Amino acid sequence: MPFLPSTRLMLFMLGSIGLITLPHAWHIPPILFSFFTLLLLWRLLSIWQPRYLPNRLGVFLLMLLGIGLLYSQQHSVFGRDAGTSLFVVALGLKLLEIHGRRDVYVIVYLAFIVAVTQFLYEESILMALYILLVCGVLLATLITQNSQAPQTLAALKISAAIILQSLPLALVLFVLFPRLEAPHWSWLDDDTHAKSGLSNTLEPGSIAELSLSPELVFRVKFTGDLPPPAQRYWRGPVYANTDGVSWRAPPVLGREKNPDQPVFTGTTYDYTLMMEPQKQNWVFALEMPSQFEGLRRNGLYQLITNKNPGDRAEYRLSSSPAYNTGGISKSERRESLQLPGKASEKIVELVKQLQGRPASPELFIANLLQYFRQENFHYTLSPEAMPDKPIETFLFERRAGFCSHYATAFVYLLRVAEIPARVVGGYQGGQINQVGGFLEIRQADAHAWAEAWLEGRGWVRFDPTAAIAPERIERGVNVDLQIASGAVNFSPVQLDAKTLSWLQRGRQLWQSVDYNWQRWVINYDTVNQKAFLQSLGIDSFVKLGYWLVISVAGIGGVVAWRLLRPNRRRQDPALRLYRQFCAKLGKAGLSVDIGDGPQTVAERAKKLRPDLAEAIERITALYIRLRYQADSEAGDLQVLKRLVARFRV
Amino acid sequence: MLTQRRVFILPTQRGLAFVLLILLLVLIGFVYNNNLAYLLGFLLASIFFVTILHSFKALAGLAIQPARQHAVFAGQAGPFNFQISNPGSQPRFALDLALQSELSISLAAEQTQTVTLYQPTRQRGWQLPGTLTLSSTYPLGLFRAWAPLRFDSPLLVYPKPASKLLPFPDSDGGQDKPGQNRRSGDEFDGVRVYQRGDAIRQIHWKAFAKGQGVHSKHYSGASASELLLDYQQAPGHHTEERLSQLCRWLVDAEQAGLRYGLVLPGLRLPPDNGAAHYRHCLQALALF
Repeated sequence: MPFLPSTRLMLFMLGSIGLITLPHAWHIPPILFSFFTLLLLWRLLSIWQPRYLPNRLGVFLLMLLGIGLLYSQQHSVFGRDAGTSLFVVALGLKLLEIHGRRDVYVIVYLAFIVAVTQFLYEESILMALYILLVCGVLLATLITQNSQAPQTLAALKISAAIILQSLPLALVLFVLFPRLEAPHWSWLDDDTHAKSGLSNTLEPGSIAELSLSPELVFRVKFTGDLPPPAQRYWRGPVYANTDGVSWRAPPVLGREKNPDQPVFTGTTYDYTLMMEPQKQNWVFALEMPSQFEGLRRNGLYQLITNKNPGDRAEYRLSSSPAYNTGGISKSERRESLQLPGKASEKIVELVKQLQGRPASPELFIANLLQYFRQENFHYTLSPEAMPDKPIETFLFERRAGFCSHYATAFVYLLRVAEIPARVVGGYQGGQINQVGGFLEIRQADAHAWAEAWLEGRGWVRFDPTAAIAPERIERGVNVDLQIASGAVNFSPVQLDAKTLSWLQRGRQLWQSVDYNWQRWVINYDTVNQKAFLQSLGIDSFVKLGYWLVISVAGIGGVVAWRLLRPNRRRQDPALRLYRQFCAKLGKAGLSVDIGDGPQTVAERAKKLRPDLAEAIERITALYIRLRYQADSEAGDLQVLKRLVARFRV
Repeated sequence: MLTQRRVFILPTQRGLAFVLLILLLVLIGFVYNNNLAYLLGFLLASIFFVTILHSFKALAGLAIQPARQHAVFAGQAGPFNFQISNPGSQPRFALDLALQSELSISLAAEQTQTVTLYQPTRQRGWQLPGTLTLSSTYPLGLFRAWAPLRFDSPLLVYPKPASKLLPFPDSDGGQDKPGQNRRSGDEFDGVRVYQRGDAIRQIHWKAFAKGQGVHSKHYSGASASELLLDYQQAPGHHTEERLSQLCRWLVDAEQAGLRYGLVLPGLRLPPDNGAAHYRHCLQALALF
């Protein structure tokens, strides 16, 4: 008998496959996705026009075409992109070849694999919910295949019930299943997709407009108090080498060791920091990190991770804003005083004017900051480009710029005054998420400041931007406002405050959900699992095994009980009482068939036990009235109950 | 009523393939350190587990009992009737019933349905149904739940009527008076072409001798003639052949609307007609 899948089955299947593959439109080469879409539509039309289905030769030719397309686009079958393309094309081709029930299963199983490949591209909570819903439709496909009766809605309902019953067990398995760190297989790597972020060079003169990207960089949750806004400096790359125009991070390898280890005093802040996927393996710790697990601190006091920066990762850190880095090595001093040639006379004049050489470095720095504050300097995110002699142009002509302009000019002047100084990049501030109680740091919070080495104090942070625009430091950048108004503005005036607050609250709520999702679900790795299980008192594999068995059995038992218990509540109480009555008659030797009507039973019962005729008649009459007639009286049920209870054979 | 003691559940081939799928998803989760891949793998594993319960639920609580059976002649497909009822409040889908023939039904809540399944019959006598298998792959086809059921409700199988067309025996067996056994009130009605079931003594021999073909004489009245079908008169080398012949005569006689009796060694059923008598006679043959 040829297998003819029902129209409903086909619609379920094609619908769910279309949905499951849809997000890949952004992931796999367009030509492959178009090929797949074409095959899907072809199969869809063939539901009503079966004669348009390709024959064996046609399928074979299409398969050759598919292989050709795959080869031209990917050159391999390993790795995320190539593997995904392979499965998508295979799924599309298989759709044209449904000859038996087995093929339906092959297709559904392939679709599950394609569903999982979605997670290799996106792990957001929305994607997870989306895939869960589509998997429900896939299950409904199987349900339709295995039962002739259910209607579309019924099949979906059953599949939803099955998924809901399965979720608790799946979650327990998720928590308890041991996570082993997989070795890193380089042949599985794809090109890292370009991500924005800080880079190794800083070239303020070439930037005409600083973009205000709301893209999240990292999130920080403090275990105790939050540091005050003015101390929220997240240290990134250090730019010490300059050619007068651009500033570069010096090589880290082969650096002379610093003579002293930093000494920390005062408050310590403990926090967990969750980095979003990055291009560089930098971790932006609160200045200055004192304790860090699984990270390395390079000679420039910057934290470096060994993990793949393309993955989201979480770190536990401690930082102290009060620190003393101690002495400076000779090579570092040389590096921090390096200048591209001789400084111009104008600059030397300015340094002299600010009591550069003879006075103490502290006095010079104080004078310089005072100079920035008193002269006509402005803070702007859209300065004019200054490609030629950017420092001088900025200091003496334009006098408007953003953090990088101020930081580089500041460092330059200090170096002319023979004070070791360098530019530090990173982020400043961050927005508190009221819902989740954590800080969100975005690309728009990117900042540059300076640090100078002072005798007895080590490297000390100075932020010239704070002298010009203290609000930038005190309040941080209001990303929502900036995006809404299109410009930087530190006091909210433009947008209706109420709308903005709703916008902000909505975003914060969502960010909080997302943060916890990232933290507890996506980032539940070997380390996190170990910590979590230890908090439950599970410290060995044997104990883990016990827990696994006990919880699986417990949840399985609950689900089984809910599923298999007889559905008593929905049974008519009159029917229940009548069944008791029939059971009593059964004891008396009367066999009651399921199909027998109550009248028939009563007649036969009366013949068998004429002595009970009256009770039998009353019970039967009451039962008929209760069950089949609309006008039964309220007390009937009670009477029936009493009569059945008293009925003795 | 089906309880866990009588329902067996094993994964199907598709179920085993599903396990491979789960392993693959968990492997992807491992290789890519992807927790959502793990999660989907675990979800499918849980669904696999929960489906065992659903498979059991597909059959649990169903009640099957044999319904009234209708006798057949040996060689025909033996119909066995069963009454299957769903006392629960949930509908049941895609229940497969198999004896020698197969059937797939769905039952609404609190619905009772009678189904007929067939099994070949070869020998006369009582025949028990083979094992009735009630099975279902509902809901996902990953498991097959089945219950082998044996019922003690035999089907009566009559002997196979002989295919040879033999005229009725010309004697009423045990009675002293041989030959025609016509009632006094019956009158000659006419002659018509010989039909199956006409007695040998009715044949119009004179016409046959004249070469006019085989005709038989007919007499008017409610029952034109009475037959007594005797085991001793039935041709055949052994019991089964004789019974087969007697069966053929019974069938023909009933069809012709004759009054007939049956004489077997140790049993004598006086001439009569009608469905009850017919069944009575056939049963006597079946159980001889």
